[in-house]
Amino acid sequence: MKLTRRMTLAAFAGVLALGTAAPAFAADLIAIITPSHDNPFFKAEAVGAEAKAKELGYEALVLVHDDDANKQSELIDTAIGRGAKAIILDNAGADATVAAVQKAKDAGIPSFLIDREINATGVAVAQIVSNNYQGAQLGAQEFVKLMGEKGNYVELVGKESDTNAGIRSKGYHDVIDDYPDLKKVAQQSANWSQTEAYSKMESILQANPDIKGVISGNDTMAMGAYAALAAANRKDVIVVGFDGSNDVRDSITSGGIKATVLQPAYAQAQMAVEQANDFIKNKKSPEKEKQLMDCVLVNGDNAAKLETFALKN
Amino acid sequence: MPKKLTWLTLVALAGLSLSACKILPTPSAQGGANASGFNPDKMVEEIWVAKVIPYLQQKAGPFAEVHALAKTDQAAAGAKYGNPKKQANSPWTFAVRVEGKIIAANTQSRAVTMDIDVDGDGKADARVQIGPAMRGTALRDSLDFVQFNDFTNQIDFAQFGKAFNAYADKTVLSKLPREALEGRTAKVLGAYTIEGGQDLPLVTPAEAEIGPKP
Repeated sequence: MKLTRRMTLAAFAGVLALGTAAPAFAADLIAIITPSHDNPFFKAEAVGAEAKAKELGYEALVLVHDDDANKQSELIDTAIGRGAKAIILDNAGADATVAAVQKAKDAGIPSFLIDREINATGVAVAQIVSNNYQGAQLGAQEFVKLMGEKGNYVELVGKESDTNAGIRSKGYHDVIDDYPDLKKVAQQSANWSQTEAYSKMESILQANPDIKGVISGNDTMAMGAYAALAAANRKDVIVVGFDGSNDVRDSITSGGIKATVLQPAYAQAQMAVEQANDFIKNKKSPEKEKQLMDCVLVNGDNAAKLETFALKN
Repeated sequence: MPKKLTWLTLVALAGLSLSACKILPTPSAQGGANASGFNPDKMVEEIWVAKVIPYLQQKAGPFAEVHALAKTDQAAAGAKYGNPKKQANSPWTFAVRVEGKIIAANTQSRAVTMDIDVDGDGKADARVQIGPAMRGTALRDSLDFVQFNDFTNQIDFAQFGKAFNAYADKTVLSKLPREALEGRTAKVLGAYTIEGGQDLPLVTPAEAEIGPKP
């Protein structure tokens, strides 16, 4: 383990040296770093950013940090070593990421953050994030309506290190807690994972057979929860997710999950690359570092228009 | 820049007045964001009379006028009644006065609303929410001196938005009658955000009066 680590470091040092020695070879590179593509949301970000980068004449280096801040730090080193002109980053932790982005800045590489904020300004050039709170409010309002303002419900929360897990939960509760007849019987983290949501839902359901609804911090967990409910013959339970994935769209149109909230992931990643391009070519920073993009409620009325994290008109 | 300075001063003032209070430990459920003493309710209380109400009074137009312009030319309506410093990707939020007759009310929900006819044609033109459960952040978003970039993160910004609704509920809306609303007159100063849905425009009041039973 220690040996591998040392060798990795040595390799990075080598890359670094190479990068310094021959910066001209990496003139057109944009690094795109996101969490694992297992979640289609992050895949859509990477695909959107890569497409835009290529369209604007860049080479793209697509990497995943798997929500591991140490790995993210190594990937930033890689981007620095390869002489990237900009980094597009969906980060691995609001606090842990500050130093990594600062490291890139010190090496003269601007970072453009998408999806998740960091707890510092003036380090990244841009932080383009979905208005997760506004989105959570939309989802919670729909949930409250579907529940008829009363009944027992379960909340599945995302990965704790991800600020958005907390923001969405807060947004949900800011709405739901105004209704005293809605009773939360369980709240558990399933770490954004479909399989974990499945097993957590199974045990929650055994302990609380009288639940009427499940509100989930994202779509993959909503899919896992709904599968567990269906397996237990409890398709009557109302499930609401967040993200606007094609999987949940298909579930909504076939009468499964009731609603989700669309985050414009694809457009957001493309916008970040456009701003990076403007910065590289014209030395122009976006007017505001922190930029919020509003989310849209998706339910039976508009689910058919949803495709790869964008609504068609 | 002067705007930002004013805002910073306000935050500083809020901090000052806070230091006079006894600081209680932050409940763990609220997370780390509040450890710095961020107190959105206090911040709203400090600016409500001094800045929020005067701003809305000065900016607001009659609902019929605002909404007609918003439907034909959002940018023009935004320039006149909206917050020009809004986030580029956010919908417009307009300051409005709603005056008319209550022709329907939903008092079954915790989110009580009244449908108002402003032009006397017998049809509802706007829906006014009077709490206690309230939707959205229209009051916050209507103010040109409130910027997301002045907040640590979305959670603080969100709590600040919620604090406006809570303050309106506490000081104004909770005192309004809830019974036999139909047929009474209503007079509201508030804000609403343009939304894509089929529903009536949803107005969040900063000031509201309801007339006597007819």
